[in-house]
Amino acid sequence: MGQLPFAEEESPNQRRAVPAPRAVSDIPVSPVSDTSSRRLGRRSLVTLALLGGVLILAALGCDAEAHQSILSSTPWTLDGVGGPVAREQLLLFNVLLWTMVIVFVLVEGALLYAAIRFRRKPGDPLPPQTHGHTPLEIAWTIVPTILILGLGVWSVIVLFKLEPGEAIALARAEGKEPVRVEAVGHQWWWEFRYEDPLPGDEATKLVTTANEMRVPVNTPIIMDLKSDDVIHSFWIPKLAGKQDVVPTKTNSMWFLAEETGMYYGQCAEFCGTAHAQMKFRVHVMEDAEYKAWVAGFAEPAQLTAQETRGQLVFLGDGQCVTCHTVGASDTVNPDTGEGVQHARMQTFIEYTQWLAKRPEERLEDVRTGNEPPTAFAAPNLTDLSCRKTLGAGLVELNLENLRDWVRNPDSIKPGNRMSELAAIYQTRTDHRANLTEAQLGDLAAYLLAQGSQIDADICRPEL
Amino acid sequence: MVTITGVIPRPSTYTGLWSWLTTVDHKRIGALYGISAFFFFIVGGIEAGIMRLQLITSDNSLVSADWFNAMFTMHGTTMIFMVIMPFGATFFNFLIPLMIGARDVAFPRLNAFSYWTFLFGALLMHAGFLIGQVPDAGWFSYANLTAAPFSVGKGLDFWALSLQVLGVASLAAGFNFVVTIINMRAPGMSLMRMPVFVWMTLVTSILLVLAFPIITVALIELTADRQFGANFFNTAAGGDPILWQHLFWLFGHPEVYILILPAMGVVSEIIPTFSRKPLFGYPVIVFSGIVIAIMSWAVWSHHMFTVGLGPIANSVFTITTMLIAVPTGVKIFNWIGTMWKGSIDLRTPMLMAIGFVSLFIVGGLSGVSHAVSPSDFQQQDTYYIVAHIHYVLFGGAIFGIFAGIYYWYPKITGKMYNELLGKIHFWLMFIGMNLTFFPMHYAGLNGMPRRIYTYAEGFGWEGMNLLATIGYFVIVISLLIFIHNFFRSIKKGEEAGHDPWDAPTLEWSISSPPPVYNFAEVPVVRGQDAYWITKREAAARGETVPAEPHVDPTTIHLPSPSYWPLITSFGVVWIAGGLLIDVGWDYIRFPISFVGGIITILGVIGWSLEPPAEEHHEAAGGHH
Repeated sequence: MGQLPFAEEESPNQRRAVPAPRAVSDIPVSPVSDTSSRRLGRRSLVTLALLGGVLILAALGCDAEAHQSILSSTPWTLDGVGGPVAREQLLLFNVLLWTMVIVFVLVEGALLYAAIRFRRKPGDPLPPQTHGHTPLEIAWTIVPTILILGLGVWSVIVLFKLEPGEAIALARAEGKEPVRVEAVGHQWWWEFRYEDPLPGDEATKLVTTANEMRVPVNTPIIMDLKSDDVIHSFWIPKLAGKQDVVPTKTNSMWFLAEETGMYYGQCAEFCGTAHAQMKFRVHVMEDAEYKAWVAGFAEPAQLTAQETRGQLVFLGDGQCVTCHTVGASDTVNPDTGEGVQHARMQTFIEYTQWLAKRPEERLEDVRTGNEPPTAFAAPNLTDLSCRKTLGAGLVELNLENLRDWVRNPDSIKPGNRMSELAAIYQTRTDHRANLTEAQLGDLAAYLLAQGSQIDADICRPEL
Repeated sequence: MVTITGVIPRPSTYTGLWSWLTTVDHKRIGALYGISAFFFFIVGGIEAGIMRLQLITSDNSLVSADWFNAMFTMHGTTMIFMVIMPFGATFFNFLIPLMIGARDVAFPRLNAFSYWTFLFGALLMHAGFLIGQVPDAGWFSYANLTAAPFSVGKGLDFWALSLQVLGVASLAAGFNFVVTIINMRAPGMSLMRMPVFVWMTLVTSILLVLAFPIITVALIELTADRQFGANFFNTAAGGDPILWQHLFWLFGHPEVYILILPAMGVVSEIIPTFSRKPLFGYPVIVFSGIVIAIMSWAVWSHHMFTVGLGPIANSVFTITTMLIAVPTGVKIFNWIGTMWKGSIDLRTPMLMAIGFVSLFIVGGLSGVSHAVSPSDFQQQDTYYIVAHIHYVLFGGAIFGIFAGIYYWYPKITGKMYNELLGKIHFWLMFIGMNLTFFPMHYAGLNGMPRRIYTYAEGFGWEGMNLLATIGYFVIVISLLIFIHNFFRSIKKGEEAGHDPWDAPTLEWSISSPPPVYNFAEVPVVRGQDAYWITKREAAARGETVPAEPHVDPTTIHLPSPSYWPLITSFGVVWIAGGLLIDVGWDYIRFPISFVGGIITILGVIGWSLEPPAEEHHEAAGGHH
């Protein structure tokens, strides 16, 4: 930084009002003595060094390999992201980052330089009483404006590339159709519904799953986002930025994964008690594997004797079937919008409306037997054994955790709707499931048999 | 009624508890605001500490999910509405009449009403803690999470009704300062001769007056939903949750500038004083403040880029938001221009002011990076945003507030604080602040969402959270040093004299602490930096300027104390508090609430029929 050409110029006001302050500039007006300023300079340098150390430490902590990092391994490359959407966003961020670093160094440099260079020494005269410099003011208004408008135009161009239309164009250029997946946000888990999991394929079927979605590699995926309760936000950091999931409207976004593997996602909009536990995963698979998963979905499994006993618990004492589905998709007729899961969502909406009534009105409804039915949308368990986790990404899926979960969901996930709404948790004072240990074991075995008919290479976690 | 209120004499005590409860003196009200704001600063700080301890490492279980959610809700609400805003009001109250050469504000009793309403509203908000009904939907309380089925209990009712009460206080204060600044300036103080702090107060007050009605509407709708079964935000009945977001942020973004503009005003006073140079580009700084205030109405949807407003709306708000960086940058350049070739004295107020500028640069730059909506899609609702707002509101507003506290400490108390302790406070707070909030940028970019009460290992967030928690305790230590310095210096500090900094504004021309009547003789202003002009003219004649000599206060007409602001405020908060009463029979809260309305009406009647002043003042009075 050279010396800026600050002219010694006075505002008209000042000229009118004060008889030339410069005339008194040689009068030492220094009621405040200062002896510590020299030492301070050194101290501020020490602080800067400390601060620098902190920044480096923090930088070491930033890791492109981290599950949900949006960064590349270095700020001048674009590796580490999973697809074109995240890459566009990262490129924009990296350019902004470098612009910020340059502006930061220049402006903080000027500030620090001024604070150190122009410090008062005892006996210093009054400095020249400058009031401003019009060309300088114009310059530092116009230059940032141009810089910002340039970046702004580019951002607008990128913004339009993130629209779902881009995904359709991209797919059709390769003679494909994008896969459309509907994601429904629930407090606090995700439902994924594929109305046409194999676009262009004659023999199509409806697939409904929860918390772990599967998509083919190198295929544009369009997400249609819905909610039946509060606002959530759908976010897979390595594949695409977030989009809110808003009741009363359907938002859409797209992504494409260039490599197979598992990607981490999480709800990003605060949605109540267990917001932190509303995670999901995206399994990106080879085309053939994906097709095998779709083909095997909801094919009936051969049950062992224990699993058959578990099925009885599922349908009988456990009453799980009220809200959960196994061995089938939660069928919805797209024309009428009717089906099992749809009906459950309707009852949920009616139930929440009922809860909003006055307590005395609710009491009256209960007395007269007019309370609404309680069957709610709950995770579809049809391909459960294909999943890695339980409770929306909370714990690893295995026999033991599954049994613990059914026995006492509150001990694993706070605020979960299952213990709040399901009948088997309402009869005991300790809020545990009203089932025997044997029943719990049978039920867990039955649930983990779900999806076992799907290709063993794709599913079957280490049980 | 007339006879009753007519015969109740105005309170006439100027010492003791009653004098504080009935005071209409802007300086005392300023002090009350300051003490209350600092109390809530500690409360909000403890809430922050609970969050930092919970997040110190992965899978921690210090507090439950619901308790954590209550903590971040109350931390945000407290720091914004009960700390930074009343700290702004502290400076407005204490300084504006002194800086413009006035006796008091335009409406002294309304000023007292603002304070008591603020205090009662803040206490009502915290009363929820006593019965375990703490708001827990975030300081933004997005609909429809606030709708009855998703938010059981009274927490959100406490939040909505208390905020409504705080809004009443802010509106009254806003009007008061607009009228004061426009009408009560000393002769010769044209608008373009006002100190920048007065300008920023005027702009802030206008923003307050325009922004608070919007949140008032939103809160009325929310209250109607929750108390009377309306369906503004109930999606199951066709309500629209996005409506809340528009209303909240149309208020909320000007609110951000309500928080930062006073600090910018403070810094614009301190930098010239300690550089011994007039403010560089005064008209440009004033104009940028006004431009920021106007543009703040056109950027609210940048809080809603991911809501799905579509690419056209997002483009517009991307550009407007990026452009608001220009006037902000211009201010920063002019502050540096003021320091350039100055004679800089790095005392604590100046260090705090430079700290403000340097940290605000960081917050401003990261702000541009999420003004760009495609980039914001990755940053929205992550710790990157948490880092940004704390660079703006802690690095910005809080550093500005501390700069102002140190700068005006000798004026307010008449004593000088301990300089060494002040500098240690600055450096520890500066280091602690960066240690706490800088790593949060990385946590956010590594994918850590905001408002999560826990996180699993394997995401690589532990290190940055540990640093942030350590930084929190560094800030705590720095504040303990501040508290020690503050109280010790009141008792044992050196006499400060009336003008320890050779400052340019009028408040330094009178003794410290200022006499109850402020100026014995109304000053005549002959230019910007009026007191510099006086002092340098005197210096040219080889004279020094002493503080204005004291006169007998009874010879000066002053507004008399009054009971009615306190009573009226009490009525207002009773209206809100009554609706929160829960004693089994649901409808009892309406009559209880009506009692508050009656108290308010009686208070206003008494207020308007109160005799104008005490007899002996009346007799002695006359000149203003």
